[in-house]
Amino acid sequence: MSHPPYAPYALTERLERRFGDPGDAARAFSLARCAELDRRAEFPAAICRELDEAGVAAYYVPARFGGAVRTFEDTLQVVRLMARRDLTVAIGHGKTFLGGVSAWVGAGPDQARRVAAEVLGGGVVSWALTERAHGSDLLAGEVTAVPADGGYRVTGEKWLINNATRSDVVCLLARTDPAGGPRGFSLLLMDKRRLGPDGYRCLPKVRTHGVRGADISGIGFDGAAAGAGDLLGAPGGGVETVLKGLQLTRTLVAALSLGAADRALRLCTGFALGHALYGRRLVDLPHAARTLTTAYTDLLIAEVLSLVATRAIHALPGELSVLSAVVKYHVPTSVDALIANLGQTMGARAFLATDDVHGLFQKVERDHRIVGIFDGNTLVNLNAVINHFPVLARMFAEGRADETAVAAAADVAQPPPEFDPDRLGLLSRTGCSLLQGLPAVVAALPAGTPPAVADAARRLCAAAADVHARMAAHRPTARAVPAAAFDLAREYVLCVTGAACVRFWLHNRERAGGAERTAGLWDGALWLEACLTRVLGALRPGPPGEDGGDGGDGGAVYDRLLPELLAQYRGGFLFSPLPCRLPEERP
Amino acid sequence: MTHAIAAPADRADRADQTGPAGLEARLGDPLDPANPLGHAAVVAADERGEILAAGEEMLDACGLNAEFVPRSLGGRFERADRLAETVRAVFRRDVTLGLGYGITNFVAAAPVWASGDAGQRAWLARLLLGNRRAAAAYTELRHGNDFTRNELTALPAAPGFVVDGRKELVNNAERADAVVLFARTGDGPGSRSHSHLLVDMTALPAGRRRYLPRFPTAGVRGCLLGGIEFAGCPVPGDALLGERGGAMETVLKAFQVTRAVLPGVVVGALDTQLRTALSFAGRRVLYGGTVADLPNARSALAGAFLDLLVCDALSTVGARALHLCPAETSVLTAAVKYLVPKILREASYDLSVLVGARSYLREGPYAIFEKMMRDLPLVTFAHANAAVCQATIIPQLPRLAARGWPRAEPPPDALFDLGAGLPPLDFGRLAINARGADGLSAMLAVAADDADPRVAASAARLAAELARLRRRCRDLPARDRTVLASRAAFDLCERYIVLLAAAACIGVRRNGTGFRAEPDWLVGALARLEARLGRRERVPADIEARLTAELSARFDDHLTFDLYARRLAG
Amino acid sequence: MPDASTVPSERAIREWLIERVAFYAERAPDTVDPDAQIVELGLDSVYALNLCGDVEDEFGLEVEPTLGWDHPTVNAITAFLLGELGHR
Repeated sequence: MSHPPYAPYALTERLERRFGDPGDAARAFSLARCAELDRRAEFPAAICRELDEAGVAAYYVPARFGGAVRTFEDTLQVVRLMARRDLTVAIGHGKTFLGGVSAWVGAGPDQARRVAAEVLGGGVVSWALTERAHGSDLLAGEVTAVPADGGYRVTGEKWLINNATRSDVVCLLARTDPAGGPRGFSLLLMDKRRLGPDGYRCLPKVRTHGVRGADISGIGFDGAAAGAGDLLGAPGGGVETVLKGLQLTRTLVAALSLGAADRALRLCTGFALGHALYGRRLVDLPHAARTLTTAYTDLLIAEVLSLVATRAIHALPGELSVLSAVVKYHVPTSVDALIANLGQTMGARAFLATDDVHGLFQKVERDHRIVGIFDGNTLVNLNAVINHFPVLARMFAEGRADETAVAAAADVAQPPPEFDPDRLGLLSRTGCSLLQGLPAVVAALPAGTPPAVADAARRLCAAAADVHARMAAHRPTARAVPAAAFDLAREYVLCVTGAACVRFWLHNRERAGGAERTAGLWDGALWLEACLTRVLGALRPGPPGEDGGDGGDGGAVYDRLLPELLAQYRGGFLFSPLPCRLPEERP
Repeated sequence: MTHAIAAPADRADRADQTGPAGLEARLGDPLDPANPLGHAAVVAADERGEILAAGEEMLDACGLNAEFVPRSLGGRFERADRLAETVRAVFRRDVTLGLGYGITNFVAAAPVWASGDAGQRAWLARLLLGNRRAAAAYTELRHGNDFTRNELTALPAAPGFVVDGRKELVNNAERADAVVLFARTGDGPGSRSHSHLLVDMTALPAGRRRYLPRFPTAGVRGCLLGGIEFAGCPVPGDALLGERGGAMETVLKAFQVTRAVLPGVVVGALDTQLRTALSFAGRRVLYGGTVADLPNARSALAGAFLDLLVCDALSTVGARALHLCPAETSVLTAAVKYLVPKILREASYDLSVLVGARSYLREGPYAIFEKMMRDLPLVTFAHANAAVCQATIIPQLPRLAARGWPRAEPPPDALFDLGAGLPPLDFGRLAINARGADGLSAMLAVAADDADPRVAASAARLAAELARLRRRCRDLPARDRTVLASRAAFDLCERYIVLLAAAACIGVRRNGTGFRAEPDWLVGALARLEARLGRRERVPADIEARLTAELSARFDDHLTFDLYARRLAG
Repeated sequence: MPDASTVPSERAIREWLIERVAFYAERAPDTVDPDAQIVELGLDSVYALNLCGDVEDEFGLEVEPTLGWDHPTVNAITAFLLGELGHR
């Protein structure tokens, strides 16, 4: 067997083989077992132990601190493979990455190693940011840490915290300056084992829409003592560290959506192949088939954007403030819609909660809704994009782009440069190279670019120019951001997704296109044509069959994707433009 | 089964306690934690997977079932729009109760009112008026909405039929005394091989029928969705409902009524979600002000309000058309059942983005929002899903384009005048194919001359869209007129349905009084609908401000957000 | 449209029907079996209801939309139409 064209999928394939066919109920990490735990609202503790034994936690820790992460793509793929089976597990286990991320971006090396050792030793670390009354408004936080005895005394409650109860260590954002403000908060590593059971109180587990087994609870302190050494990073640096850490987590959280989308599409494809309507298989009815192929296209767009943005953590850290918001808005939102669309095809099976295969779809739907809500919701992320409008508009007009870095982000055959947290910034000074360089790239597409693709790429550039012109006219406001700016931000995000697709194709078409298993997707740039058609349809929604809508050809490009979709399903491959074998039973 | 005709008790004395206002008063303050019919009790019952017992008792006491029984048979059913508005009060409080106690009886009864003989009609009327239940046994999961391939058989065997097979996802299967059974009575592959049986379950030999375990569902968890399996079960000959082989035809007529009414009642769920979101937005402080102060939040709330009004206008016009234009309702009621649940679902999602993490919690002051979000999709799938509704319309598009759209006369004003009386609903006049007739869409051209320039401009664009659709639909490819219809045909159908919704809003405004007569909501509603056609213009700022004010006033005054603005309890 | 006073021949009706069914099924008329169930050709349930419009346009004859249900093959519809046109 030749090398996989995409190195991180070797890790995925190894772990997938270890956990086995998700459809095999006898397996520990099976769909059936996860569904049963969900019905009982029970935390998947045994599965998490298996993950620990498999060494999954090492993929939450950068190599320089002793972990296995040389590229965050590994983290993305590990979380994605868990999410393909169960979001409760992916969140319950993967949240330790969130607990530790502040250390990777904001702590000194010694402290980072201490956190790393905790994670690598199987410790559960949670990240306590939000409070009952303030939600995403971190600067309104009321948990205080008052200097005392050379350390701090901590008072107050954090709420809706993943693993607040189960965790060993809580990475806590607390107000250290009574006046608050961006420099008024600090991060503290609250070690519950050291505090002892009287040093804190866990708040009851909250009953949720989905991920019912997850430990979503809270934690309260009543003058708990923290040592000076528990302060993570510099005093007053808490908010900055959190905002930088969120850039990583908001990018990587896409893995949850990619896993959920793979499962939803797999369930629906199986249903469409096995269910008959009007005497025909559902998959042979054009309307139902189109729902499958557009969902597949949406998944490909989400994956390509996620891959490029994840590599941008390494290659374009200074622009991650834009890209992470784009990913965290687009991927969960589009996958919510993807699941809802597939649900229309599933009919009654979309809401049945039976204990057989038919009960799985509604679980994916319920579980996935959390992804868009937690760790920076839709509106927070669109606001982040809006805050960048002036620089984005200016840089686009100047055509400024760091093409070397873009190539490093987009070309998945090469390992990305080492991650340098010091290059993260709260506001990108260079905008978003991915999109800003697009007009120049599209003006010089390689010979042999299919005309339909070249045409679509040019239309994307025209749309991007229009969007940036309107962004330039936007008057920045601190608070009363007009609703129209949110619409504009959504359009901007679509342009970035299209740019990510073009870049990904350009930098990988020769190598990835040569892989036998995915050759059909790359032949004639099929997947790219479908993705651009989809993006342009959303950017320029118009009557079907005319400009926009389903594209000028009535969406025939989607129909050409159907054999590729079915081949990946039947062959037991991940839904992806890159080949990745799964242990799924092949139907 | 005996179809003895007994005079039902006179229920006129209850009339003052029924209807939307009476029901609302009995439901009481939703936010009172001690109210056995309040939100807290509703959420708790859902957690237990039970239908709200106190709710069923209350509905028994006020005889809700009479709403489903024609007046000629001793009930209170006269007008489909009134029925929708009345039962909407229950749905505002609890979708599970509204579906599990109420609408499911109406779905079962509709084929009986449409095709039953006098004895059968009287029997079912008496049963329902006695607070007993009827179940509609149609679904076989293997075949979904494809009724013509249903397999449960009823074979003639003197003195009646022998039934074999199973029905699934039957609401109240186990506690219904009457079951309307859709059964195969012929071998042929077409649409004349199925018949309805009206079965008295209490008279069947217990050993020949078995109840299936409940089907657990993500939404409406308290509904008793079960199933029945028959094994050589004898059913008397007088159970045959309507003509032998006539069930598909009956379904396509009778379900026009339920397909117009069901979406109309579910509008109540969005009312509660919007009220809950307003309550959240008014209290939640973010970045130094309330959420309600954020322009984006105000825009989302006003948008949901407009969506709700659009849904009410379309479903109300659809319901009134059953009385006034029964030749055209095969198309219009399918449009209602397609678009209204879709808009409700999308509006619910948009509001969930605003409510944020609280929309994900099954506890706390906003838990009812989460429950409604879970309940709503089920109503989309129940009783004909989106594709089935569109499939009813698509093959009719070429003829609508050729005959209806170019020269239709606008419908009578009474179609839109919510206060105007209606002629009786005659199930026999409901046509299963519109034969190209569509008066409603003519309202677009009418409004293109509206005195309000904003309305006129929007209507002119919509009329132009109808003209464009006409060109496309007149020559719809052959394949698109069959089961192999393409997505392009489904998209044309969706755009046509959006135009019908716009026409309904236009008509309601022209014939309205008070708020309904004001142009503001119509301008906003048309902007929302034009956005569905791809137009990028937002609802104008001044309109949004006026609607936000109306919304706040209704919230403060405890008035419903629908076209009626009725007083609520609490 | 033929003159209402003249009844088209059985053959003319059948050939016209075969042409319509072939149109919907997107196949050559000579592959349409006049004894085949039109359901099997994609004119399932609600889709078959629109034959009434074709009949009306062609023969000026108003028939029930359920025409294709009650007479589920080309030959059956032909026989029915012949009778109806003859009685006119």
